[in-house]
This record gives sequence, structure tokens and C-alpha cells, in this order.
Amino acid sequence: MRHLFWMTVFAGLTAIVFGVVAKGSDRQRLVYGLKVFGEFLFVAFALGWILYFLPLR
Amino acid sequence: MVAKQIQQSSRAETPGHAWLIGLAAWAVPGLGHLIQRRWFRALLLGGAVWGMFFTGLWLGGHLFKPGPNDQGIAALLQLLPMTANVGVGLPYIYCWLTNTGFADHAQMVTYEYGNTFLLVAGLINYLAMLDAFDIAAGRKQ
Repeated sequence: MRHLFWMTVFAGLTAIVFGVVAKGSDRQRLVYGLKVFGEFLFVAFALGWILYFLPLR
Repeated sequence: MVAKQIQQSSRAETPGHAWLIGLAAWAVPGLGHLIQRRWFRALLLGGAVWGMFFTGLWLGGHLFKPGPNDQGIAALLQLLPMTANVGVGLPYIYCWLTNTGFADHAQMVTYEYGNTFLLVAGLINYLAMLDAFDIAAGRKQ
């Protein structure tokens, strides 16, 4: 749970910056920031599950 | 016509204060927007960078700098992450002068998270710096 928490904090803080510096209206930037946040989490979960099934040990 | 407009805009000189604001934005995260009275942007950007920096240190991450034993490729490998760390500006310089945050805490579970937080704090401050510069130069609202 600790990893999930810090990954979410990381995604949130990075998404804030990406959303703020993006171009467009306030609404567009808010949507972009939320999209970036969701993409961070989605990619992390997807990679996590892919690595889980790979016989790396 | 578009080409002419692009040519004209590229000739427009960047005001001198924009460079100073860019420097301030790099040195103290959030200050570039604060000077320009962009309170909310300053709060969000400064808060994110400072938050990430202190969280990174708290999680056991370490800052990078070329050591006395690093030569050749080893020194280059230290320079890349150091460039990212330097992005936070004065906090990095303060840590360098006081030798704070350069020690490894590899025994901590969150050590790698800390490193990532510290690296990305510097990188996103570069973005914030460019944003402040663009606003000061009139290229962005």
C-alpha cells in the first residue's frame, strides 16, 4: 500500500504541473491534468501486472 | 503571410525582465509566478516542486553530484541526474553547501521513490521556469 500511495502522490504532483503549464482554457487544462494523472496510474498498473506474470525470478 | 508573421514575431525582442523572472523562477520554485502576481499558479507550481523536493528527501532519496573519485564516464553518469537535481535551484545549492541530502539511504524501502521525487522535482521546476519566462515575455497568458 505504501508503494501505491507514493505512486499516487507522485502522479498527482506531476499532473498538477503538467496541467498548469499547458495551453488552453482553465477547463481544458484541468481536463488535461486529470488525464495525465489517470494515465500515470493506468500505465503503472498495466506495467505492474505485466511484470507480475513475467518469470523474472 | 503566416511566414511573415512568424518572421516578425521571431524578431520581437525578449524584454530584459523576462530573463530575471526566469532566473527567479529557477532559483526559488514558484517565485517567478509570484512576482507576476499569478498567485494561484505560483501556489500550485511552487507547492508541487517544494512538496516533491521535501518528500523526496523524507523518503530517503539522495541528491547527485560528481564525487572526487568519479572520472570519465562515471562523472558523466553523475552529471545527468545532477542536472535534473539542479533544477530546483537554491534548495539544491543550499544542500550542496551544507552537504545535506547526498548520503545514500538504500536500506529504506522508499529509497528509489525518494530519488525519483528529487529528480522530477528539478525537472518540473524547469517547466515552471519556462512557463514564468513565457508569461513575462508575453508569449503566454
